[in-house]
Amino acid sequence: MKKFNRIVGSKAEEYASRALIKKGYTIVKRNFSNRFGEIDIIVKDGETLVFVEVKAKTGNRFGTPEEMVSKRKLNQIRKMGEIYMEGKNLPCRIDVIAILLDPASDLLRLSHYQNVY
Amino acid sequence: MLAKIASIANIGLETVPVTVEVDVAESGFPGFTIVGLASKAVEEARERVKTAIINSGLEFPSKKITVNLAPADLPKDGAAYDLPIAVGVLLASGQLSMDSKINLARVYFYGELSLDGMLRPTRGILLLALFAQKKRLSEIVVPFPSANEASMVTGIKKLAVKTLPQLVRHITGQKIISPLKRTSAKKLKEDLQADFDLKEVAGQELAKRALVIAAAGGHNLLMWGPPGTGKTMLARALPGILPPLTSHEALEVTRVYSVAGLISPGESLIQKRPFRSPHHGVSAAGLIGGGSNPLPGEVSLAHLGVLFLDEMPEFQRGVLESLRQPMEDGAIEIVRAKGHVRYPASFTLIAAVNPCPCGYLGHPKKECKCSERLIAKYHHRISGPIIDRIDLSVTVASVETEKLSLTDKKQSGQITSKEAKYLVLKTRQIQTKRFAAISIYTNSQMRNSEVKKYCYLTGEAENLLKIASDKFNLSARSYFRMIKVARTIADLENSRKILPLHMAEALQYKQNI
Repeated sequence: MKKFNRIVGSKAEEYASRALIKKGYTIVKRNFSNRFGEIDIIVKDGETLVFVEVKAKTGNRFGTPEEMVSKRKLNQIRKMGEIYMEGKNLPCRIDVIAILLDPASDLLRLSHYQNVY
Repeated sequence: MLAKIASIANIGLETVPVTVEVDVAESGFPGFTIVGLASKAVEEARERVKTAIINSGLEFPSKKITVNLAPADLPKDGAAYDLPIAVGVLLASGQLSMDSKINLARVYFYGELSLDGMLRPTRGILLLALFAQKKRLSEIVVPFPSANEASMVTGIKKLAVKTLPQLVRHITGQKIISPLKRTSAKKLKEDLQADFDLKEVAGQELAKRALVIAAAGGHNLLMWGPPGTGKTMLARALPGILPPLTSHEALEVTRVYSVAGLISPGESLIQKRPFRSPHHGVSAAGLIGGGSNPLPGEVSLAHLGVLFLDEMPEFQRGVLESLRQPMEDGAIEIVRAKGHVRYPASFTLIAAVNPCPCGYLGHPKKECKCSERLIAKYHHRISGPIIDRIDLSVTVASVETEKLSLTDKKQSGQITSKEAKYLVLKTRQIQTKRFAAISIYTNSQMRNSEVKKYCYLTGEAENLLKIASDKFNLSARSYFRMIKVARTIADLENSRKILPLHMAEALQYKQNI
């Protein structure tokens, strides 16, 4: 199951990256991680640095993917963002991309929420 | 879209309007936030409202929802905001379109939701109804199980709702809920709801007479005597001779019980006169009321009824002393960091006291085993100011064996609860008539100016009181209290004037222990 989640996750991140590129963002880094956590995708929207959390779910049975993004998770991304910027005060924000997949991992819905923190 | 729903907050017995503003934003990360000094119970409304809406077969919007409880600086507590929040969410998300006949500004929503969409009994409904009554053409929407509380209130439309879907059908106009009709109070059954009948207590004629006077005029009574002589039995017989509450009194008492959440589902007005007997382990907060959002304590729950303190010296001293203010003012002011509230607390204190720790001080046959110091310490527990506020004190002495005889049929002189109740009722009627113009009910509630107005002492009676007052060093408070007791005794005999006979009897009950 754990392994399966990982496959679904990376597939979802793929969908998210494509969607972001399509919107005209430039990918800066994917899967920025250290021992404090991970940022799924870092992109640039013009001058603004955007830290993107991708949350995917297969089916709605246990709730929507949006519900699975907790305050704690967002705090973690904020902390990771600060680490990434190495103390520099850049214009930045946190976005969430919620993805709903069907059992065959095909995209059913992709919602992009800006500046959620 | 934004929806504004009217509701209320109860601070003690005061009711303040609260507007529940619900905004369902078109953009933004989905979430559900409640602002406006919400307590934990209100915060948790999030989960209840969300689940109740989903389980009612409706849709909970996956959007950014913000709820504001205005005014923002007033602390809100309790689960009663579940219903207004749920209605607000449904309206703001466009799932409900308002029937044009409903003017939302005049409808007050109030009630706790269950996870399955049912409405649960909620406290404070009576206060909501009384508040809405002051506004013109208003309407209240409340949970069905508690709706009876409001049934006596006229001039408003009362909707008792069982489930959320039922309310939705009403609002959209598919199936209108017919408003509750005004129901008159059910006649209380005449049977005596006491543990004992007065006639079951052997002997103790003096104590029984004092009990009747206390019940008739609402005077404080202290019973003093060795264990096993019937002090507790006498007090337990008291509910059987107390008159039922008048409609005015019933409303006052029900308001307190509504705030305390002590009205059982389906019940409307409380008509039985309260009889509270807290255990001597009670804390000051439990007795006079308390908590960070202060709830009424035993003294307020005994409002217009009886507070019975069995084994009075066993209560903590501080707890007993806290009775002073309510005994004098008939109300209690509780002050906490969040603010202060005032609850009515006009009760009749009935206390039972042993003469010493072992109980046999002054007993004709048994020897007291307590040391002088122990006895002094025991008596010290009930302070002078408290004793001064007690109008009647009687000795409940040990009973001679002949009177206990089961075969002896010579009980003709014994007063029964039924007879006593009749006497009490008649005396209360005289008082109700006398105080019709002012907001008190019994002789004991008279203030000094009213004592001067309503108590005609004959010269001889006044003389008697003056002599006694000098001899026993009665305080000014006791002086007036004596007149009030004499007033009740005169009322028991249906005498307009207070005769020396009445005064003499009143003085007889002022024994110092």
